[in-house]
Amino acid sequence: MRSRELVSTALVLLCAVVGLSGCKTAPPPDRQSQLIAKGRDLFFNETFAGNGRTCGTCHPAENNFTIDPAFIATLPKDNPLFVAEFNPELKENFENPALMREFGLILENLDGFDDLKNKFVMRGVPHTLGLRTSVQSPGGPRTGWSGDGAPGDGSLRSFATGAVIQHFTKTLHRIPGVDFRLPTDEELDALEAFQLSLGRQQDLALPLRLKGTVPKRGQEIFLDNTLGKCNICHVNAGATANFPGRGSLGNANFNTGVEDLPDQPARLTGRRVPRDDGFRTPGDGTFNVPPLVEAADTGPFFHNNAIETIEGAVAFYDGEAFNNSPAGRALAKADPKDKGIELDGTQIVAIAAFLRVINVLENIRQSIELLETSRAVSSSTERARLLARAIRETDDSARVLRGGGLHAEAVAHLQEARRLADKAGRSAFLGRKYSEEAIREQKKARAFLVE
Amino acid sequence: MTIRRFVVALVGMSALLVGGPPAPSAQEMTEQFIPVGQSPGLSGKYTVIGKLHSVNAREQICSVASAAGTVNAKITERTKIWLDRSLLRQPNAKGTIADLKPGLTVEVKLEAHLRGVPSGPAEWIKVQVAASP
Repeated sequence: MRSRELVSTALVLLCAVVGLSGCKTAPPPDRQSQLIAKGRDLFFNETFAGNGRTCGTCHPAENNFTIDPAFIATLPKDNPLFVAEFNPELKENFENPALMREFGLILENLDGFDDLKNKFVMRGVPHTLGLRTSVQSPGGPRTGWSGDGAPGDGSLRSFATGAVIQHFTKTLHRIPGVDFRLPTDEELDALEAFQLSLGRQQDLALPLRLKGTVPKRGQEIFLDNTLGKCNICHVNAGATANFPGRGSLGNANFNTGVEDLPDQPARLTGRRVPRDDGFRTPGDGTFNVPPLVEAADTGPFFHNNAIETIEGAVAFYDGEAFNNSPAGRALAKADPKDKGIELDGTQIVAIAAFLRVINVLENIRQSIELLETSRAVSSSTERARLLARAIRETDDSARVLRGGGLHAEAVAHLQEARRLADKAGRSAFLGRKYSEEAIREQKKARAFLVE
Repeated sequence: MTIRRFVVALVGMSALLVGGPPAPSAQEMTEQFIPVGQSPGLSGKYTVIGKLHSVNAREQICSVASAAGTVNAKITERTKIWLDRSLLRQPNAKGTIADLKPGLTVEVKLEAHLRGVPSGPAEWIKVQVAASP
């Protein structure tokens, strides 16, 4: 018995030595990495002396930097997202808790703060992924749903200042130094660096050599400027437009008629939801083009969360609201047969399948990056954080494929990758090995989607 | 090169040289809550901060003396005037031309998004209110 114990102890010690010898000393972080790390800390922890919210309250990393009703339902009652439900100063005219809980909508006073009861819009929370590819336009930076989300110079860097004033205040007086403090220049630099580090750093180069029959056809329709016409406003499934006769427009704004959709969920409740006039004050009815690569796992869709599914979002462009809109009419005018967008059910599903697949490819890319980084870090807390994000991305990948009935074999590999990443997080000595195996499974899954 | 082409090229080059960055698509509504001198990316670069030197109510023009010189800002129907009362720890508020009084510290953002432009229509004017009236 004693000798068995000794052998066990020796084995444990041996494992520890082997494990420790595999530890690489992480190189000292460079200046940019330090700035990003500082920005991450501010994004998730800094309340700016306000009502308790942080940037991460509405842009949580664990939900693709956005919120939706399903995620909101998991939050405790005292989460600062619900501050209007428990802070008497913010009970009226700060949020609409019912619309927040049922549809994930946030209240914004984009046309002024002089009539809070009547002048407001209800908007979803856009994710903050791929911002490096989706902010610039020849007309200056475009941020937020209508492109004019930031005060000051309108840049992504300035966005946090406006967000603090709108969403972080302790009272509706919004007195700087009393109800909140404004971010400093150094904080704005760090927040910008962190946000720019999230997600894709460059656009795709379509077409991809996809393997799935339906997604492959979806890509063809997406790129066909006489059929799907998607690539005109979402070049390479990103957020830049290349309109016929007008060339590259960068991250442009269009009036696509979303506000004219019948039966918008928030309005079906009978609650007051004023018309959102979009860009500028008074608005011109236009909204900013979001990137599509990140779409399939960040719904609901459009600025008012009007549509829940990616198939429904694609189908919107086949409807009257779009085809009668200024953008829809402009597309028809540029068409030799004077046609807007006319798609049948199979074509809508095919485009959505393509969007699902490119979303999963991006999730796999991120998962592999997270797993690889987790193998290099020495901090166990940081490793756990990275592995947890890799697991969530993997869960998203499987969910997005299953939701479209796509690539069952890839889903099986993703499930195995998830299991291994989970094991990596729980293993004291074999974490790196499991992470490596998880990466292998991710690559196997990817091989089913694309050549 | 014909004279016409030359003129076109010259105009084009001039536009490039003095055009500066594009006017931003900034969200003006939260701007009113930002104290004088703290507008991110604008204050000190594309705005003028100084003392209000004179106000011509008839012409709707105010002169602001800043370290960089005097700026004449035209107040149009589009110009927003805000009272920055953050030093008093009171809410900022909308103002009018009547609130523009010589000697007050103001920050002016002209519509032309250029550095060093001496005059033009004002996009907004923030008036720093430092003492209770």
